[in-house]
Amino acid sequence: MASPTYVLSQCPSASVCAIAAQALDYVTPHTIEMISGPKVAMVQLRLKESVAETVFNAGEVLVTETRLELNGTFGFGMIVGNQPEFSTALALIDALLRIPGEHTVLLEEQIACLAAELQHRQHAQFAASNSTKVEFDTF
Amino acid sequence: MGYIAARGGTNAILNAELLVEYMRLQGQSTPIALDQIRDQMRAAVGRAMNEGALYAPELAALALKQSEGDSIEASFLLRAYRSTLQRVMPTIPAEGTAIRCMRRISASFKDIPGGQMLGPSQDYQIRMLNSLLTNESHADIQRVIDAHATLAAESDCDPQAIGHFSKVVDYMRQEGFVSMRHDDEADEPFDITRTALTFPCRRSARLQSLAQGDTGCLLTYAYSSVRGYGDAHPTLAELRFGLMPVEVAHPMTGEPICIGEIVVTECEIVSKAHSVAHASDKPQFQLGYGFTFGHCEVKAMSMAILDSVLTQAKLNGLSGESGPAANEEFVLLHSDGIEASGFTAHYKLPHYVTFEADLKVLDRATEHVQSQALQAHVAPVASGKDTP
Repeated sequence: MASPTYVLSQCPSASVCAIAAQALDYVTPHTIEMISGPKVAMVQLRLKESVAETVFNAGEVLVTETRLELNGTFGFGMIVGNQPEFSTALALIDALLRIPGEHTVLLEEQIACLAAELQHRQHAQFAASNSTKVEFDTF
Repeated sequence: MGYIAARGGTNAILNAELLVEYMRLQGQSTPIALDQIRDQMRAAVGRAMNEGALYAPELAALALKQSEGDSIEASFLLRAYRSTLQRVMPTIPAEGTAIRCMRRISASFKDIPGGQMLGPSQDYQIRMLNSLLTNESHADIQRVIDAHATLAAESDCDPQAIGHFSKVVDYMRQEGFVSMRHDDEADEPFDITRTALTFPCRRSARLQSLAQGDTGCLLTYAYSSVRGYGDAHPTLAELRFGLMPVEVAHPMTGEPICIGEIVVTECEIVSKAHSVAHASDKPQFQLGYGFTFGHCEVKAMSMAILDSVLTQAKLNGLSGESGPAANEEFVLLHSDGIEASGFTAHYKLPHYVTFEADLKVLDRATEHVQSQALQAHVAPVASGKDTP
């Protein structure tokens, strides 16, 4: 089972923004304080290679990062690319999942639906590649 | 005629910039959209990203447009932009086993666990210009999209499968073909963006340096070692291309959170068996590792060949000619395309004062040679002897 953050990171920005807005309606009243961002920044990609298990810096990845507080609860969102709305929605969902309430059930259900759709999409992508599977024979 | 330092030229420089824009647009063709470059120039975008050491497909497309397709200039623009961004944190170390493979092949074994999958590749096609692309239409695009959907629908693979495979090198380790050597580096990898390279360098420094190296340069060095100016005898253990998830630690809880997937190429090269370094050791294959952003197979393979050659050279394990590709300092200090092109291009800029000094040296050398010649002519006359 894929993690919720993996599922969310693989979904369209509009879908993630929609479920964040819907869940936010359940938390009333609410105040959002932006601590930083959304800002474009970099993370340094660390890679554990497969020859000697050396961890090395393989380059930087452009990301958008958001840190906020929702009713005093910290929320963190980060996504590859320049996607400020996506990053903010992820930060809100991060905070929402830490605040007790019925919205957490809603969020978990919606993430489970997104996970099923994602599995279908990723399988279709793999299935097309799998059509190029070969069995070489030697003479 | 004198040579002096120059100043000014502001208007000329501004006009020169305008002429560059004019050269790009004078044909008055439809401006290229960035998404067209990102989607349809995948190889160029990947190369700009890995040589610029910044994964940002949209910005790489912009850099390629601005540089009119010049790969080194595009990577230079990306690396310059990189220097304006804050690095907020490192990722949790990613591993190639997490890649959702679209392509996965081995040249070492025809039967590998999980099987070989050619994926998107032109390796097996005849290199002929495709004139059908000259007038490609939206209908053609839809035809390919539909054909891809049909391929997916007709596949009979495991419905849960999304492209995860075990590594061929792990199988080779189980069989004892390759060493189980683990790196003894400290936890924090070397960072060539913060600390200048010194030699001998740590393996993490070598891999970081090669990963952002110029494709043509790495290819040349690797090819030289394979063709005869070295001792490389590589075989592809595994090459995989696909999407790799990236995770960071949550700043409050420390839990891993996924921030998306990136397109990558990864490979391992296996070199011939030897036991040169330690005669008592069990003969085993050596391995080399290659990794790039984007779909850049030749660069990943060149990097892996060089990694293998440099490792063997360090272990004193080369059984034949070492060649220039086995010299780590030579390879790493000359393989960065941005540094190399910048240094070469700077000779186009005014060097009037430098060259004036060169002229004076030339004058003095000329005077010296002339006075030597005169002395040689006068000396025999002064001694009363005839010249021969």
